[in-house]
Amino acid sequence: MSDQLLDRPPELVVKVEAGEATARKTASRRKMRQTAFIVAGWIAMVLVWEFGSWWFGARILPRPHEVVLEMGEILGNGNFASDFTASVLKTFAGFGVAAAVGAPIGYLMGRYGYWRAFFHDGVTIAGTIPAIVYAVMSLIVFGLSNLGPILAVALVSAPYVALNVAEGIRGVDKSLITMSEAFGRSAKQIRREVLIPTIVPFVFAAIRMCFAVAWKVEALTEVFGGRNGVGFQIRTEYQLYSISGVLAWMFLFIAFMLVIERLVLAKAEARLLAWRPEERSTAL
Amino acid sequence: MAVLTVRDLSKTFNVGTPRASRVLDNISFEVQGQTFVSIVGPSGCGKSTLLNIISGVEEHTSGDISLKSDQGGDARMGYVFQDPRLLPWRSVMKNMMYVQDELNEETTARARRYLDMVGLAKNADFFPGQLSGGMQQRVGIARAFAVEPDLLLMDEPFSHLDAITARGLRAQLQDIWAQSKKTVVFVTHDVVEAVELSDRIIVLQPGGRIYEDITIDLPRPRRQSDPTVATLQAEVLARLEKMKAATQVAAPVA
Ligand SMILES: Nc1ncnc2c1ncn2[C@@H]1O[C@H](COP(=O)(O)OP(=O)(O)OP(=O)(O)O)[C@@H](O)[C@H]1O
Ligand SMILES: [Mg+2]
Repeated sequence: MSDQLLDRPPELVVKVEAGEATARKTASRRKMRQTAFIVAGWIAMVLVWEFGSWWFGARILPRPHEVVLEMGEILGNGNFASDFTASVLKTFAGFGVAAAVGAPIGYLMGRYGYWRAFFHDGVTIAGTIPAIVYAVMSLIVFGLSNLGPILAVALVSAPYVALNVAEGIRGVDKSLITMSEAFGRSAKQIRREVLIPTIVPFVFAAIRMCFAVAWKVEALTEVFGGRNGVGFQIRTEYQLYSISGVLAWMFLFIAFMLVIERLVLAKAEARLLAWRPEERSTAL
Repeated sequence: MAVLTVRDLSKTFNVGTPRASRVLDNISFEVQGQTFVSIVGPSGCGKSTLLNIISGVEEHTSGDISLKSDQGGDARMGYVFQDPRLLPWRSVMKNMMYVQDELNEETTARARRYLDMVGLAKNADFFPGQLSGGMQQRVGIARAFAVEPDLLLMDEPFSHLDAITARGLRAQLQDIWAQSKKTVVFVTHDVVEAVELSDRIIVLQPGGRIYEDITIDLPRPRRQSDPTVATLQAEVLARLEKMKAATQVAAPVA
């Protein structure tokens, strides 16, 4: 490619570069304008909040800087890390259970018509039940325990995992299976090299979709029946009538979970799906 | 190399239902040694079905098929499909190794050698999505050769490619085949291609019967520019046209 560029008459090269420079300038201007709007959005949010505090009184809705100070305090003392770890671990444990139960069901549904008929309505209903119902059910089953939030997350996520895996299996490229058979590959090899890689993107889609709901359900369940974790801390603050404490924990949790969602899940997905050609990655 | 014997082979899809349709009708032929056989016929006459039955992917309705290695024992098979059929999530090299029975230095070296022969040694670590269609098809060809099959089945491997790429690959295929001792059954609807590549052409007619079994006795390597090749191509083409004219009258209207 570079050779071709050098072979061209020099003035043409200059023009190409000038065009690129203009394009770059336009792009950076657009980006700056966008950043300005983001900042303006934040300022508007804080102003609305300040107005709310003034209207309702700071005892009911604490002012933003009070909450920020409270967040600093929480971050400063050591409990923070352990409660967050507890909440995150419970969320992922719930996912683990959901995958262990949902993926095999999804596999059967995708692979065999009879099993699809058997599971389909149940899984659909399970996926439609509101998350709060699962939270309440888990509390009734486990009471004050770490298992409640795990069960709630698992119940919310499992139907999604099952449906997505089923969809993935049904979408498997039959011609790759024929190819494998023609070359005498065993059923086990076909499962490992064709079926499972096919469903990985679907499982990821399911997990990302669930994650947004799951950590909220997890925190909610902790509020009512946790012995540690972020939800437990929110309840404690509530019992102390410290609304700024409630808000501070909530904001920290939101920030933390968004970081996990954006960084950890997106990174893991990018690594596992590196084979997907760039142009096509958005199509899937 | 393999000894392939097909005797009175018939295939009916959807047996016992109103949609039953006979696709292959009493096919018999035998292939052995380093022979390149082409199966030629119009679209829908059952060529792919015949290959799938030989490879064991599809069941047949009646008749016998026997396939043995000429060294005795079971014959190993390689298959090149109309499309590349590579695992998109595995690199080119991993795709080559996926179809190997054993993963050791010998099979790895062999996979590399065939990849080199199709000119893709540098692309071993690419994912299929990063290759052009023609390059992917070459991987598919290298993959089939790299299992050192006694019998190599090829189903219109060049039909999705542009004419220039296809011509290059046909020349490559001739070279590789000349170097490796393999029995090849090659399906195509392109008579010109069949004459260029084959020792023998089996012509299937609509309805799945063998219309003709033609021996092509031309020296190799054959090049498209060679007038004797062109003459024979024209002659076989003329015979096929005659068949088409005859069977079009005879064939029942669906
Ligand atoms: N699974 C199937 N069920 C029912 N009919 C089938 C099936 N597969 C193929 N057929 C029918 O068998 C006939 C032969 O199909 P086949 O794919 O073998 O043709 P072909 O000679 O390879 O054609 P082409 O040159 O277009 O690839 C067709 O009429 C097709 O409709
Ligand atoms: Mg075909």
